[in-house]
Amino acid sequence: MSPASGVNAPLSPDALSAALRAIGEERYHHRHPFNERMHEGLLSRRALQTWVANRYYYQTRIPIKDGMILTKSPDASFRREWVQRIHDHDGQREGEGGLELWLRLAEAVGLERSEVEAFELVVPGARRACDEYVAFVGGHDLLESVAASLTELFAGFIMHTRIAAFEKHYAWVKPGGLDYFQSRTVQAPKDSKYGLEYVLEHARSREDQQRCLAALRKKCDILWSFLDAVDRATARPVLASHALVRDEPDGSRVVVLSERAVRIGGSGNEILELCDGTRTGMDVAGARVAAHPGEGSVADEVHDFLEEMGKAGALRFEPEAPE
Amino acid sequence: MAPRPYNLIAELSYRCPLRCPYCSNPLDWAETRDSLDTDAWCRVMREASALGVLHVGLTGGEPSVRSDLEDIVAAAAGAQLFTHLVTAGLPLDEDRLEALARVGLRSVQLSIQDALPEASDHIAGTTSFERKLAIARKTRALGLPLVVNVVLHRHNLGRVRELIALARELDAERIELANTQYHGWALLNRDALLPSREQLAAASAIVQEEQSRPGLEILWVLPDYFGDRPKPCMGGWGNKNIVVAPDGLVLPCQAARSLPGLEFYDVSSHGLEACWADAPGMNAYRGEDWMPEPCRSCDRRGQDFGGCRCQAFALTGDATRTDPACALSPDHDVIAKLRDGDHSGVPLRHRSATRN
Ligand code: SF4
Ligand code: SF4
Repeated sequence: MSPASGVNAPLSPDALSAALRAIGEERYHHRHPFNERMHEGLLSRRALQTWVANRYYYQTRIPIKDGMILTKSPDASFRREWVQRIHDHDGQREGEGGLELWLRLAEAVGLERSEVEAFELVVPGARRACDEYVAFVGGHDLLESVAASLTELFAGFIMHTRIAAFEKHYAWVKPGGLDYFQSRTVQAPKDSKYGLEYVLEHARSREDQQRCLAALRKKCDILWSFLDAVDRATARPVLASHALVRDEPDGSRVVVLSERAVRIGGSGNEILELCDGTRTGMDVAGARVAAHPGEGSVADEVHDFLEEMGKAGALRFEPEAPE
Repeated sequence: MAPRPYNLIAELSYRCPLRCPYCSNPLDWAETRDSLDTDAWCRVMREASALGVLHVGLTGGEPSVRSDLEDIVAAAAGAQLFTHLVTAGLPLDEDRLEALARVGLRSVQLSIQDALPEASDHIAGTTSFERKLAIARKTRALGLPLVVNVVLHRHNLGRVRELIALARELDAERIELANTQYHGWALLNRDALLPSREQLAAASAIVQEEQSRPGLEILWVLPDYFGDRPKPCMGGWGNKNIVVAPDGLVLPCQAARSLPGLEFYDVSSHGLEACWADAPGMNAYRGEDWMPEPCRSCDRRGQDFGGCRCQAFALTGDATRTDPACALSPDHDVIAKLRDGDHSGVPLRHRSATRN
């Protein structure tokens, strides 16, 4: 058997690069309905705020995962290059860096810095997605971790779209809010160029290349599910029109759908009653928290319920239109 | 005590304008008359709901051959059942589908035989592909969820990617890629339908890749004969699903009629509850007491229920044996022989045409 032929032959650097880009083209979150609506100017003020607040949690995880990546490399020149990302994010001193710029964006969209820093508006599905990324890097080797960061290949382009969309559609955002995006239009291409060269040079066997492609796919999926969570929180859940809600002899309820039935208990019932098409996911959570003061997990329970019912197809989520 | 059934499979008629060579209906389907009238079916719906059934699949054959489908759907909806129509897309038409939605139809499962119009029509034995697409579009226009069902075999496994793309284009909620199960006409045509291992591996890799994309839900029903554990047939015999055949016979699965020596009850002469709970045939393989070794002492017996009784009978002549699809079955070599033989060039035999 000749080593470099057939289905197990490694891809050329150009072919690998093209395969990585094809993944982005197909499943990077620029295609997510939430981002599409953002860029078309269709987000309500509250939806944009919720996105900014949730995305802050993501931003805070990035230097953590980059710190983890540093620990995986025995190569000083790699670390010297990669550590720059942490500096970019955290800044050299208080009041500088990407995280700070993101907090200014938060203020520019009308949020309080303190509530954003305390992650008060972060919904569990978004938190899980971000934590999953950190855990992925924790559980995979240097090559796969670098490959997962290659969503940056597509970030430069989305930043330009975003800046234009904000200027055109969200003129109410205060000046200075877009500095983060501006800074990323420079950093993302630089970072991703280094990351891509690293992967092209080190993913030599077909197997390593496959691992890199899988890592990038996984990362795209994580970003996608992050937006799914934000989407559910900012849209108005209503029972799907084809769902059948039926009372059971034991007092519980089932929501029957074409391929499954979901049994819902007491709190599920109360949450479902609130999903009347007038409240967003955040509103439903807020109403439940107001009705059950002091019970820590009430809001998370709502978001988890909405996620489960959404995935089962029992709820439809209607986006809130801009004011 | 008999377990609670959750799902009613209402086989309204075995008649069908299509003639798929893998049809799971009995070979002598034409002998099974549509002997339940409108009132009888409406009563079945009410009694099923009272038994705890939540969901009814209205199927066949082709359910839309019955001119009283609207009445049956209305009765099911009135009895608080989720109504799911399983159709080949004809003789149904758009107006009729709209009328069904108006009386309470909640979702539609549409069979498509292949992604290429000619190939689909060839397998169906009837020009039908374009009609199917029209029904799919109408389903979505009515706001009903659409499930696309494709039976996979040697002749269409190479087009799973196109089938998935078609389902996405039709805005289906889900596609079921169901590798042929060898009952009824499929058993007769087994050698002409069995895929190769390579075909299956290629298709399953594509399915896995597509499953990771958002949107469409993709169900891949593993092929018979290629795994080493059997499928949990019907979720267990007389356990969750209740089948009412066109002639009123109440069965644990669509194929159970093929087993000799089992007595089932008829809804024309018994209440549905007695048919479900008391018929000797229903109780023959309910639970675990009937199980032979190796199932009896196997810790998967609560998951797969020892596999399919009809397959055990078809392949060993004894319905009480462990499903030969299981690698632990003493009869497993039967499967290997069937699977690994050279079946190239075996012709397909279409299902016999509908009487009028
Ligand atoms: S498998 Fe084909 S022939 Fe049989 S009922 Fe379905 S559509 Fe009709
Ligand atoms: S021995 Fe019986 S119970 Fe065990 S896996 Fe095989 S079929 Fe299932």
